[in-house]
Amino acid sequence: MRRTARLGALATALALVAVACGGGDGGGGGGGAADPDQPPITSIGEPEGQVNIIAWAGYIEDGSTDPAYDWVTAFEEETGCQVNVKVAGTSDEMVALMQGGSGQFDLVTASGDASLRLIEGGTVQPVNIDLIDSWDTVDDRLKDAPWHTVDTDGDGTAEHYGTPYQWGSNVLLYNEDVFGDEPPTSWNVVFEEMTLPDGKSNKGRIQAYDGAIYVADAALYLRAHRPELGIEDPYALTREQFNAAIELLVQQRELVGRYWHDAFVQIDDFQNGEAVASSSWPFQVNILGEGFASVVPEEGATGWADTTMMHVDAPHPNCAYLWMEHSLDPKVQGDLASWFGSVPAVPSACEGNELLGPDGCTINGIDNFDQIEFWKTPQADCFRGDGSSDCVPYHEWVTNYVAVIGGRDPVAGT
Amino acid sequence: MVVSEAPPRAASGPGRRVGAVLFRHPALRLALMLLPAVLWLGGLYIGSLGILLTYSLYRLQEFTGLVVRDVGLSTYALLWQPANREIVVRTVAMAASVTVACAVLAFPVAYYMARYATLRMRTLLYLVVIMPLWSSYLVRSIAWRAILAGEGLLPWVLDRLGLDGLLRLALQAPLVGGPSLVQSKLSLFIVFTYLWLPFMILPVHAALERVPGSLLEASADMGARPRTTFRRVVLPLAKPGVVAGSIFTFSLTLGDFILPQIFGTSEFFLGQMVYTQVGVAGNLPLGAAFTFVAMAIMLVYLGAARRAGAFEAL
Amino acid sequence: MRTTSTPRAGLGLRIATFLVVAFLYVPLLVMILYAFTTQTAAFTFPPPGLTTRWWSIALGNERMWEALRLSLVVAGVSTTASIVIGGLLAAAVYRARFAGRDALAFLVVLPIALPGIVTGIALRSTFAQLELGFSTWSLVVGHTTFCIVIVYNNVVARLRRMSPSLAEASSDLGASGWQTFRHVVMPNLATAVLAGAILAFALSFDEIIVTTFVAGQQQTLPIYIFSILFRPRQKPVVNVVALVAIAITFVPVLVAQLLTREEGGHVR
Repeated sequence: MRRTARLGALATALALVAVACGGGDGGGGGGGAADPDQPPITSIGEPEGQVNIIAWAGYIEDGSTDPAYDWVTAFEEETGCQVNVKVAGTSDEMVALMQGGSGQFDLVTASGDASLRLIEGGTVQPVNIDLIDSWDTVDDRLKDAPWHTVDTDGDGTAEHYGTPYQWGSNVLLYNEDVFGDEPPTSWNVVFEEMTLPDGKSNKGRIQAYDGAIYVADAALYLRAHRPELGIEDPYALTREQFNAAIELLVQQRELVGRYWHDAFVQIDDFQNGEAVASSSWPFQVNILGEGFASVVPEEGATGWADTTMMHVDAPHPNCAYLWMEHSLDPKVQGDLASWFGSVPAVPSACEGNELLGPDGCTINGIDNFDQIEFWKTPQADCFRGDGSSDCVPYHEWVTNYVAVIGGRDPVAGT
Repeated sequence: MVVSEAPPRAASGPGRRVGAVLFRHPALRLALMLLPAVLWLGGLYIGSLGILLTYSLYRLQEFTGLVVRDVGLSTYALLWQPANREIVVRTVAMAASVTVACAVLAFPVAYYMARYATLRMRTLLYLVVIMPLWSSYLVRSIAWRAILAGEGLLPWVLDRLGLDGLLRLALQAPLVGGPSLVQSKLSLFIVFTYLWLPFMILPVHAALERVPGSLLEASADMGARPRTTFRRVVLPLAKPGVVAGSIFTFSLTLGDFILPQIFGTSEFFLGQMVYTQVGVAGNLPLGAAFTFVAMAIMLVYLGAARRAGAFEAL
Repeated sequence: MRTTSTPRAGLGLRIATFLVVAFLYVPLLVMILYAFTTQTAAFTFPPPGLTTRWWSIALGNERMWEALRLSLVVAGVSTTASIVIGGLLAAAVYRARFAGRDALAFLVVLPIALPGIVTGIALRSTFAQLELGFSTWSLVVGHTTFCIVIVYNNVVARLRRMSPSLAEASSDLGASGWQTFRHVVMPNLATAVLAGAILAFALSFDEIIVTTFVAGQQQTLPIYIFSILFRPRQKPVVNVVALVAIAITFVPVLVAQLLTREEGGHVR
């Protein structure tokens, strides 16, 4: 009897703990505020208390990684909108999250290889730029950029599907100890087997991005080294050009230790010395700091131009609009550019930002806009819009690249 | 045995009356007792699997990545691509090796607990075995990164012992090797084995515990050598436990999508492929189809396990 | 119950047991060690220095406490639901013979015998199909599905081991069926239920595979840990969070274990 009594007491105590901790509904659910057929809202109402954003790693910082970099806390205090961030590793992941996340997500910082897919799929809604006071401060090169400005209703005026956030270039990240005073100048260190300046082979010590869009990096390399292929746009590849790029990636598979998906895991791998050179983002270079450096190699680089886009079923549209306005604040733009190593979408952010410094924007490449091959989703019609099918469409990029990572040669079929 | 000291009293009060009524109507009582489980497992769970099955018959619109709700087998056809077939083979091979390793490692502990440990020792060992289940699976996994990394604990220890050549040799081995320990299948195998080991020890222990000591003594009395007793008496009796444990180790390896992201050579495994298709590529139909491969493998396995009497030992 | 005297184990067996236990615990020790390292990024061995500052950073983190609270709620509610569903099912399956009994006994094992990803993605598709959002309840539904079997297995195992003569003796003494159940069977089952509940709670508390698919934007403790797993500059914080979770959950297990003093607990 005594034992059962004690057991009873314990069970009661456990139940009490559960009840005491109870309550709270964790958010979620909730009906969408916007209807796909409705025009965008015309005024910003009462903030809903939170906003859910899908973003790249390092894009939305609340000071928890480094107290100096915080563009969330003040916004939360000012508007009462709690910012919840879901980090995604690739554009494909962003698209998947947005499509599967009806009623969950408000915003996404989509690159050009995701934005058109989102618009086409009816996953995002047009944004009423009249409600964004800072719209006029946006870089003119970005205001009407084709990756977020589309005339979907066919009335002759294009709709804006979001506000530009940041842009920049992918870089070749390397370990300075390994390369010493012979820093790499070409992407060949990640595509061709060679002996690195430290006397050891690069085999097993390099990484490659695990997103299918990386096929374009291979195409970019071939554009410089195999002119006979006639590659112009690395995102518009004929079958022959595409196969050559895949062959290069198959060859690269032998050299790659791991493919990186998560920026933080890549940072960890470089810190542990598991990897010494890789295609990367300026963000990782910044976080890694001393002992690591990056370069935009002679072949040029792919890059991204990101747009903050709004889900058609955004559960918190008012907070979403407030965040879009906040995201164009020169201080936010400058701090972010310094943190991520990117270029602000608002040129005035380049001046007087303590973290970015006077030359920050130039260093991060504000003058290279025309040299960067921005990510965009490959289409069968080579972007001619004529319904032709000379180019390899994106879904084949995905299946082929997955096969390459799995150690196969999808072209040769072995 | 625990026996309540309270003497049986005549039924009184509404609760008791309901209890008494139910005990007089066994069919009603049985139905009520079964109802929640039948609704939950037969309705919700099986229903969900049915919905998943329909999703696997849909396909993906290729540019927008939206699901097209036309029923067909085109998604399953994709599974036959060599790269996808290889994922299945690779995963099953990993699951099988992890299972064997877990069984080998679990046996001494389970046997010691069941046969030799005092009650106090057994309670302690039991706690020792389940304790790791209480500590974050993720953090234990990255603890292994700190152990296996180039400047981590294991290379440090091996270096001190002058055994670092052994490590290099292992990394050069075909199939399991790789450029470094963390970036090899070997590390994936070690960490999987480590993580699922308690799930093997507990059922093996439960099975061995049912072996009466007298049976072993009888075997010895009849002149069997310890080795013979072990092979002829202990092992067959432990078998249902091992099979039960192997269900967990196998199924947990098949479904894990986190470890292959942290360890190994970036080659895909089944669970990771499902996760990638659903979470990264947004291809729910293909993810669902892969899920049914995993299910088919486990169902075959379960069928075999059931014949081996494993369900009694779960 | 052990009747024969306990023989002494051979040296080989003792060493093997010790080595396997060491294998289980080295990573936990490493986890503890690196909760105090001064390194913020890559962990090297031996750590260059020790500090306690990660503890204040981790303990002051509101998101961690929120995640911990959600995990406790989900584990608590799921375990309670599993006790009801699994306990009743075990009693029914043990006592009665009825059509579909074997099928049901097989069905109950499925959610745990099939890879968690199956349960996760299946439930997720259902929630999507029914247009139910994700909430604490979607987590509870997911976790209860695989917790039922754990309680069920423990109770069934106890019922099998329980001597039928005990219940007979009770009836012989004039107790009604209900009285026998209430005063003889129930107390005997209590420890089995508790042992099952502890394991169910543990599995729910650390589950991440099913959780990933049914959580939506909510963060349980494992999901929170996953989100900061590779966070640069504060790497040891993850280890601290894991240790806090152990401390909070280990005490009830220990207490329950001491109270029951049974080698109960059939895993899963």
